Amino acid sequence: MKNQKTRRPGEVVFNAVLFAFSLFIFWQAYGISGFSSLSSAGTFPLAMSGIMIVTAASVLFRSMRLSVPQGGFAAFRREVLPPVVLIFSLFILAYSMAMKSLGFLAASFVFLLASIWFLERGRFSRALLLSIVSIVGVYIVFRLIFQVVLPEGIIPERAIAAAIGDFLKGGAKP
Amino acid sequence: MIDAFSYLFMSWLQPELLALTAIGTCAGIYIGAIPGLSVTMAVSILISFTFGWQVNHALALMNGIFMGGVYGGSRTAILLNIPGAPAAIATALDGYPLAKKGEAGNAIGLSTVMSVLGGFIGIIVLALAAPTVSEFAIKFQPRDYMLLAVMGILLVGSLSGESLAKGIFAGALGMLLGTVGLDPMTAEQRFTFGSVELMNGISPVALMIGLFGVSEALNQLHSLHLPAIRQRVDKIIPSLADVKKYLPLSLQTSAIGVFIGALPGTGGDIAALMAYDHAKRVTKEPEVPFGEGAKEGLVAPETANNAAVGGAYIPMLTLGIPGDAVTAIIIGALFIHGLNPGPLLLVQKPDMFWFTVGNLTLANIFLLIFGLTGIRIFTRIIECPKGVLLPLILLLSVVGAYSINNSVSDVWWMLGFGVLGYFMKFYGYQVGPVVLGIILSRLMDDNWRRAIISERDSVSDFFFNMLASPLSATLFAAIVLILISQTPFWKKFRAGGSAVPKNG
Repeated sequence: MKNQKTRRPGEVVFNAVLFAFSLFIFWQAYGISGFSSLSSAGTFPLAMSGIMIVTAASVLFRSMRLSVPQGGFAAFRREVLPPVVLIFSLFILAYSMAMKSLGFLAASFVFLLASIWFLERGRFSRALLLSIVSIVGVYIVFRLIFQVVLPEGIIPERAIAAAIGDFLKGGAKP
Repeated sequence: MIDAFSYLFMSWLQPELLALTAIGTCAGIYIGAIPGLSVTMAVSILISFTFGWQVNHALALMNGIFMGGVYGGSRTAILLNIPGAPAAIATALDGYPLAKKGEAGNAIGLSTVMSVLGGFIGIIVLALAAPTVSEFAIKFQPRDYMLLAVMGILLVGSLSGESLAKGIFAGALGMLLGTVGLDPMTAEQRFTFGSVELMNGISPVALMIGLFGVSEALNQLHSLHLPAIRQRVDKIIPSLADVKKYLPLSLQTSAIGVFIGALPGTGGDIAALMAYDHAKRVTKEPEVPFGEGAKEGLVAPETANNAAVGGAYIPMLTLGIPGDAVTAIIIGALFIHGLNPGPLLLVQKPDMFWFTVGNLTLANIFLLIFGLTGIRIFTRIIECPKGVLLPLILLLSVVGAYSINNSVSDVWWMLGFGVLGYFMKFYGYQVGPVVLGIILSRLMDDNWRRAIISERDSVSDFFFNMLASPLSATLFAAIVLILISQTPFWKKFRAGGSAVPKNG
């Protein structure tokens, strides 16, 4: 990565966005308490956003002096955001949105199954087996051992766990 | 004194703590070894799961993971030429050539013993130096804390990234993110944009999981299908002659490790590279040239990165300033547990300190045990395909972020930072300074204001008194030196000498 001669696809745009963001934040920081005193609530944010502006500008300037990469937008799509990254990100997004309504168990299971199947491009049965094993492992470690509270959703896991508990207790008695 | 001893051996005697340390160390070795999993990732996800626990239990697990993880990276570096963790980059340079010659077992054994040795030296220095530093730290003025924090951010920014400007930008961004919410001194709103949720600030844990977990997992998608290489592994236990032969070198490199680890902001990865450089300079006639399987090139980084663990705890426990990224996360955990790391921690809670020292020692012993056994199972597990590993990391990240406050909005923050981190890494920005920044933000803001209030808002008095106090002046000089060392002028000046290799 050192001493690069050509810039990476999209590099100038990213640096420009960071620079614009720094300017916006500086303006917001000024809004907190202006330049009223050196010990006001706004001083530290102003200083930090000022540093961000200076450094972002220097990075932007330097990246603009590098030669333009070959390939244009196609190169950006290939190197920075290949389809696998985009699709997997969409999976994550869908998973995060579904977790509340579907519940942890159902949403995680579907997420694992879909993404392992997609990433491994293997047999469906193998992905199914791997997701079941993983989800059982995660459930035991986090829900039962760490006692993390997770959204329950459509699968009444507590009722099932209680039923299993009752069954085991019942089974233990003669 | 008796009290100190009872705390020192607390985790040795309580079965629960003993088990947690063992699990942590063992898990740490695998986490460090599996490319795609990292200690920072694991510890940041763990914070959200363990904050309901007693603090000692949570610490025992994290200490174990830290110790094991720093070492674990060396195994994949030796076996696959893929450093499992940044701290093992230097190990791969000579470790992999050794494995290609069929000496993988020997290399792993030697690196284990040397890691443990380095670890012990780090812990001894921690136990001896921390109380002194802490006594000294009580005399620190707000100004000095501010300067130390600046120095930490600068060190991380300058040593680990592509350019100093990018490092400073990342650090400033982190500190700015730390100011979001109600100002702790005046309760004024900062960057809240009228949202009630933002008044509580941005959760540092969500930020850490996003930057270390999600962005790293997305990055790994680029190298999904790397073929696995198999190595012959036998005869793990190293010969006594080898250990004796490299003892003098390992003591020197351990010292480098502790020192680098103790500097705020710099950790095992930089320590390992510096130690490798040192070994190259002091070894006049290596049996095998460096880069082709010299054992010196294996011993140096491995002792240094584990010695840096003990070192990194020194500023964390005595000043409240993290020694590296992992201790930054552990500080976050201590805050959540209601503890306030700083010069008074050793006075008010000596139990915490001695517990940590004893627990790290225990983790180091487990490291020796797990490091020299179970190598066959190990080679199976690290072949776990990324297509299975990455969805699991994402699953744990989402669950971890959710369980911080049982709220979905933390998940969105985490994903947002994950995407930001993905692009930052791609364009050569480091994410470490961002995390250090958000942790140090409050400390810097508070201490700057205290310092300037005590000077009645006069900048000239501030500078005059800073230069008049020996401590502040030294810190200030160090900061100026770091800045100058990054200028093109200085680099040209030094071009003749041997440059320290950097991770890109």
